[in-house]
Amino acid sequence: MKKRLGFIFCCVILNVSWSNASAQQEINLADNPKLSHEAEEKQGSLLLYPFKLYRDYISSADGDRCPMYPTCSQYCMDAIKKHGPLTGWIMCSDRLMRCGRDETHLSAPVWINGEKHTYDPVSNNDFWRQ
Amino acid sequence: MRIRNICFGSQLIVLVPLFFLFIPFSKSFAGSETPPDRKPSVMITPDKQFNYAENLFSNNDYSTAAMEYKRFIYFFPEDKRVERAMYQTGLSYYHQGDFKAAVDSFQKLVDEYADTDYAIKSYFKISEVYMKLKALDSAIINLNNLIVVTHDRDVRDEAYYRLGWIYLEMASWEKGRQYFSKISDKNKDKYRLEKLAAELEKEKLIPQKNPKLAGFLSVIPGAGYLYTERYRDALIAFLINGALIYAAYESFDSENPALGGLLAFVGVGFYAGNIYGAVTSAHKYNRKKTGLFLERLKDNVKINLSADVKNKGVCLSFQFVF
Repeated sequence: MKKRLGFIFCCVILNVSWSNASAQQEINLADNPKLSHEAEEKQGSLLLYPFKLYRDYISSADGDRCPMYPTCSQYCMDAIKKHGPLTGWIMCSDRLMRCGRDETHLSAPVWINGEKHTYDPVSNNDFWRQ
Repeated sequence: MRIRNICFGSQLIVLVPLFFLFIPFSKSFAGSETPPDRKPSVMITPDKQFNYAENLFSNNDYSTAAMEYKRFIYFFPEDKRVERAMYQTGLSYYHQGDFKAAVDSFQKLVDEYADTDYAIKSYFKISEVYMKLKALDSAIINLNNLIVVTHDRDVRDEAYYRLGWIYLEMASWEKGRQYFSKISDKNKDKYRLEKLAAELEKEKLIPQKNPKLAGFLSVIPGAGYLYTERYRDALIAFLINGALIYAAYESFDSENPALGGLLAFVGVGFYAGNIYGAVTSAHKYNRKKTGLFLERLKDNVKINLSADVKNKGVCLSFQFVF
């Protein structure tokens, strides 16, 4: 049992340290815009790959049914781009739990291609941190 | 070589007299032409140019109006209406929605004419543009500059009034009250400060949720959402987190650490998301309630200010929503 708990702990620590290291790299590279941009693109493309994969191959076949705008996948990509992997992943999880429930009658509606969606961009969920 | 020179010389001897011979002839030809009808040329006077720009402005053709006002300023820089033309240029950009150009135009006017009526109006317009752009700090700085520059008590009072409202927009109630209290006694009735103060007291009754408490309650998945009155989110957060924690536990228990690790990784994200979401929900709740309060306050007691330069007064209008 101790081994199992240790494994979970290691997973969490690894996850957190990897995320922090990535965020740190971003900060250090910010001095050089060219390098920063390249690193950001590389990091971004790697982290966002699962979302792109989902959008290109699963969602396109399964159909776009997300009642929110931007859609959850887009929201997650935006959150990761804006806040880095750790906070981005947390915001993404939060959004997945809120999708299509109370938010639909609390946030402003927006009409996309004649369909009613709930407007819930990243800026609506990080305003208090700025 | 010599032969060529002789030829050239003889050609020159022939051509030069011919040239002089044709000069009077060509002149007579040109002179013989009937003089062209002199069409009456349009003489643009300052009045015509200014009225044209004003006409465009009143017909809502703001982009052309801005250009014509600029033309007026360029060609008639000594005209006494240049200041108004500068103001109208800014106003044209403002109505077009080109806020940056509007601020630049108003700022130019403010820089050239320090404490004139149009300069004061420009200060107010700049702050309005910043408000539209949600750059509240810039609006505050601009109005404070006006307070320093102006010697007119009424203008200063209006600036205080606007500053008070900007702070109310930021939910800085005390700062708002401070600025309202700086308004001189003679203008207190004009700005309905007594009524405003009474309504502002209700600020304490705005229902608020404590974000820290929401976050703390989320230790039990969903409890934070429940606190912020998001019942369905609370149920889903509880079920998802419960299921993930249970699944991770079972996986480790049944000697499947890879699956357990994966589930734990996902579970940690959702658990943290449940806390983050609860805190955000509390902030959203507060923002919404504050916004509703402000809307009602504006409807009930805010005076729509529209400075009239000619009459040097303010146009007041107010309504009450029951």
